[in-house]
Amino acid sequence: MSGDPTTRDTSQSTALSHLTRSPAGILLTLLTLICAALWFFPIYWALITSLRSDQATVQEFGLLPTEPTLSGYIFSIVNSELPIWYLNSTITSVSVTVLVVFMSACTGFAISQLRFPGRMLLWWTILASFMVPITALIVNHFIIIAGVGLLNTHIGMILPMLLSPVTVIVYKQFFDGLPKEFREAAVMDGATELQVFLRVFLPMNWGVTTALAIITFIGAWNSFLWPFLVAQDEKMMTVTVGVSAVQDAYGVAYGRVLAGAVLASLPVALAYLFFQRRVTQAITLSAGIKG
Amino acid sequence: MASVELSQLTKRFGGLEVISGLNLSVEDGSFCALLGPSGCGKSTLLRMIAGLETVTGGTVRIGDRDVTTTEPKSRGVAMVFQSYALYPHLTVAENIGFSLSLAGVSKAKKTEQVARVAAMLRLEPLLERKPAQLSGGQRQRVAIGRALVRDPSVFLFDEPLSNLDALLRVQMRLELAKLHNDLKTTMIYVTHDQVEAMTLADKIVVLDKGVISQAGSPWELYNRPANRFVAGFIGSPGMNFLKGQARHGADGITVTLQGGVTLTLPPRAVAGFAGERSVEIGIRPEHVTLASGSAAQFSGKASVVEYLGNTSFAYVDTPQGSIIVQADGATRINAGDTVGLALAVAEAHIFDDTGRAWSHL
Repeated sequence: MSGDPTTRDTSQSTALSHLTRSPAGILLTLLTLICAALWFFPIYWALITSLRSDQATVQEFGLLPTEPTLSGYIFSIVNSELPIWYLNSTITSVSVTVLVVFMSACTGFAISQLRFPGRMLLWWTILASFMVPITALIVNHFIIIAGVGLLNTHIGMILPMLLSPVTVIVYKQFFDGLPKEFREAAVMDGATELQVFLRVFLPMNWGVTTALAIITFIGAWNSFLWPFLVAQDEKMMTVTVGVSAVQDAYGVAYGRVLAGAVLASLPVALAYLFFQRRVTQAITLSAGIKG
Repeated sequence: MASVELSQLTKRFGGLEVISGLNLSVEDGSFCALLGPSGCGKSTLLRMIAGLETVTGGTVRIGDRDVTTTEPKSRGVAMVFQSYALYPHLTVAENIGFSLSLAGVSKAKKTEQVARVAAMLRLEPLLERKPAQLSGGQRQRVAIGRALVRDPSVFLFDEPLSNLDALLRVQMRLELAKLHNDLKTTMIYVTHDQVEAMTLADKIVVLDKGVISQAGSPWELYNRPANRFVAGFIGSPGMNFLKGQARHGADGITVTLQGGVTLTLPPRAVAGFAGERSVEIGIRPEHVTLASGSAAQFSGKASVVEYLGNTSFAYVDTPQGSIIVQADGATRINAGDTVGLALAVAEAHIFDDTGRAWSHL
């Protein structure tokens, strides 16, 4: 009976309704709601502050703006390089996503499925690189990128962001988990290794690829430290760097700063909204490794 | 169509030798079953023929070509896997036509070929479905279709029916037999199920620890086992074995069994047999009958009785050892009954202390 999904669903919903009705359940629900409210309040405050005038931001403390205005948004769009920052962020994030996912899938496939000298050395190197935080390498990256004259360029911004051992590990684990018969059947059918990868393994893991692509995109869009170091010209800044520059330039103009912040986080919020199941899947996939 | 010749074939995994200097000839158009217990090397052998496993020593010839180091796709073989290995992201039509699309066959030609195979295997209504939407038997047919579309010289089957339920297995067995009759293509079939091997194959190769224990027709393996391993492996329930001492007698070979019963068996072709020798008598359950009075050579108590409708198997504990007897379904035997048994000595086999059978004359 436990195998029957209908029965299971019914029993789960009964258990849930019993829990919500009991005093402990009500207390737990209240506690959860309080935690959710505490978590959401700064986001809400940023949203309503971005809809207030500069003067109102330091005078009003109500939960709703008395005179909502889009002046902060208009100012950020008109008087800053926000459209260019958006473009830079898009170029960087899309490039990083495509390259990281493709290279990681290739590497994961090679380590998992091919037999070549140095395979295990490569695998251990990737695992070892995973132990070193990117921030510890940032000075080296800066010196190298400066040395090859790529500071203040998109390529210079993208290259160090391509290091993503976690994505390789996730792919390798997935390819390891596939029955070897799929590969052998494809080989018998006349597929080359590249065809096995592109026509069998990659499409079979499309869900993983989508999930990893979304989480990589969000990570690349939100990255700050490296773009901040490499973009020395305002026209090369990404949104996250540009918004911090607005904050520096306008001091306590919270409305403008938070309008910029809302605009900066909008693509990520939308990406999460549309692909939240995939993002959760990606976090689950990499959690076992990151933990 | 093509024959398959394996010569001095050896396979080692590190220090472990799983196939040892094996020689085998599979005739063009025949159905050959590789039979043996788990770990005997039958799947490894099949994979070496397919090219999925490298060969440590010896040669593999398919037709008139030495393919020992040839890539799998160029050997002219197609393989059906135990797990079917259907690509889950492709439809049935795409699965069947996958090898053709890799080979760059035109779309029209591919559609025609897929339709031909689908018609042969009655898969037309399923062509747009994904593997997850198919039953076990349908998946099996798609896997066969994928092999069939390549028009191979040799079909290789790696325990293709083991994932099916008993009823479907019988049905698919018949379909495979019909397919072989229609195509007349050489088929090599790995199984640990002797019923599959006996019913499908022209030739059965029994493997034990990486060597051929016996190769021959189903009749030969059942009625003239070359050794104790084959005798015990073929047949269900298995052959009865009774230990004793053999010596030459006036009318043949006299065997005194443990527990005191003496049997006289027809003479056998055995070289260098003089004096007395430890042997085992092998007798199949259908060659043991219930007997009473002076006709009974053994007597014992039935410990378990398996009633199958048309027949019954009684497991009888005698002083000579446990003996399985096949009785008519109409004969009533109950567990705990004391019964008399008689052996059809002409059908008995003799195995010496090395396990080798003494051939019938």
